[in-house]
Amino acid sequence: MNREEFIYLYDGSFTNLLNLCILLIKKRIIPLNIKSEEYQPNLLEEVIKLDCTETINVEEFVRLFSKRIFKTIYYLFISNDINKELIIYYFLIHSLKYKDKIYYMRNLKSVAKALKIEKYVGRENHKFKGFLRFKELENNVLYAEINPENNILFILSKHFETRLANEYFIIKDVGRKILSVYDKKNIYIVSEDEFLPITNLSTNEKFIQDLWKSFYKTIGIKERKNNRCRMNFMPKKYWKYIIEVSDEK
Amino acid sequence: MNLKEKLTILADSAKYDASCSSSGSKNRQNKIGNTNVAGICHSFSSDGRCISLLKILMTNCCIFDCKYCLNRRSNSIKRACFTPEEVCELVINFYRRNYIEGLFLSSGIIKSPDYTMNLMIEAISLLRNKYHFGGYIHAKAIPGASEALLKRLGNLVDRLSANVELPTETGLKLLAPNKDNEKVSKIMNYVKNNKSRRFVPAGQSTQMIIGATRESDLDIMNKSENMYNSYHLKRVFYSAYIPVNSDKMLPTIKKPPLVRENRLYQADWLLRFYNFKVNDILDKDNPNFNLLLDPKADWALRHLNEFPKEINKASYNDLLKIPGIGITSAKRIVSSRRYFKITFNDLSKMGIVLKRAKYFITCDGKYFTDINFFKKSFIERNLVLEDKVKDDTKKIEQLVLFNE
Repeated sequence: MNREEFIYLYDGSFTNLLNLCILLIKKRIIPLNIKSEEYQPNLLEEVIKLDCTETINVEEFVRLFSKRIFKTIYYLFISNDINKELIIYYFLIHSLKYKDKIYYMRNLKSVAKALKIEKYVGRENHKFKGFLRFKELENNVLYAEINPENNILFILSKHFETRLANEYFIIKDVGRKILSVYDKKNIYIVSEDEFLPITNLSTNEKFIQDLWKSFYKTIGIKERKNNRCRMNFMPKKYWKYIIEVSDEK
Repeated sequence: MNLKEKLTILADSAKYDASCSSSGSKNRQNKIGNTNVAGICHSFSSDGRCISLLKILMTNCCIFDCKYCLNRRSNSIKRACFTPEEVCELVINFYRRNYIEGLFLSSGIIKSPDYTMNLMIEAISLLRNKYHFGGYIHAKAIPGASEALLKRLGNLVDRLSANVELPTETGLKLLAPNKDNEKVSKIMNYVKNNKSRRFVPAGQSTQMIIGATRESDLDIMNKSENMYNSYHLKRVFYSAYIPVNSDKMLPTIKKPPLVRENRLYQADWLLRFYNFKVNDILDKDNPNFNLLLDPKADWALRHLNEFPKEINKASYNDLLKIPGIGITSAKRIVSSRRYFKITFNDLSKMGIVLKRAKYFITCDGKYFTDINFFKKSFIERNLVLEDKVKDDTKKIEQLVLFNE
């Protein structure tokens, strides 16, 4: 393979990135980097956009690699790592060679890095499965705000789709200004400006929150008080949206 | 009495039950709620314990007079009793808002064991059948209740538990004269022998109070091992004794024995996942845990002739015996070394924490430092120091090198 001094651009979507990576691998090009097309290059960098007309879809991708590898790549894609595209590229190259055995090849730097990021994203998703708090709106819709580091909105919403199948819910990623909306059938991801303002809280909401807060206060055993332990499990960065601790200093 | 007041009273009385796990159940799905195999923690209370279930008593009225218990008959405290509807309302409202993973329902004994169990069954079956709640439910079985009721309750919940309370029968006689071991064993036996798939899918657990009576750690661990073997328990919980009543039978302590409790949990893990036996870690001459070192490190230091172990050769079982190496790490090592020879550098890349392990291993024949340092005194001092000054590892290493 020859090393080229270009930064390759993709349109920001997951499938386009996959296709670009596969094209690069086919052409035996090692990119300097891969970036979404919003990327602002500096004076010394040269960017290039390839024509990815010959494309493969997700099913073909899964057949070519595996379900497990697909999941890893997707978790990398939604991570906030600045070099995620390049890590995906190298992970795919190794995957072609090793298939699912790649998960044992942590001595390879890019594999170790990729699996570390995958775990980090998975962990954050799992944390929010617990720490997310819904509020009930006037129209019975459940509404929650989150501020995750990684773009976990969709995978997190999938969890609540199975759990609260018979509810309408909206989850807002405050930092990314996107919302997921579940209408008892499908999940839609929309941006903030396409969205109507959130209505008032239901009349019952304050009462239930109050009950929960008093339960929270009661359940702690004062003889065992251990703030450091609590912080380890529930770091401050999550507190803003956790109603039972958000007003604690 | 309003709902908030009831909730406060009945949560306050329930808080000493340690169990809060919501894991291990089969995936179930209903109109509202499902269970997650991995379990989910929703919050952490001021004492650092996980909150995943709404932990409440059906009532804190009790006909028993156990010396250590807040709810004993002779205490003059406010008494309350939930109606089944109230329990459902709380669970559904909390669950929809993602405060909880489910319900942990226990109860004081009101009128009779059967009466109490019936009350609990009424609440839980309302929750399952009228509200179609599919989330996690853990219920306490009331000792002395009939088998028919036990069967009904077991078919509604994910986990059942009956507390042995104290590690020995003498302790129980002393502090809980109304309870007896036999009734608890009867429940455990019944749960073990009911093989129906819908019956208690997440298994049974129990709890012991630590430090209220004179039992040694060896007595406690023997009791646990015995119960794991005879009843296939999923968990034994250990709860450091906290004085809530004053009684001449009870010990006077300033602080609950939290370090001891922690050591018991560590040893419990060794029994369940690391193929240790109680005899390996404790014996008549050493009936109590070393409070300065965790049981595995303590064991390793007493068996230093079996170390250092070579990462590239040691069997899976041997890897598990290395302090600092857990199940995930051991599996990762075994599966990876088929493809390459593991060095210290690889171990870090594999996400294996070397802080404790490095003293007990070699990688491809190499020790992490001069092999002449491989002595009990050196390792022990480092491990104890590391625990004491967790944040500042550099300082310790310098300190130790100076001393040598």
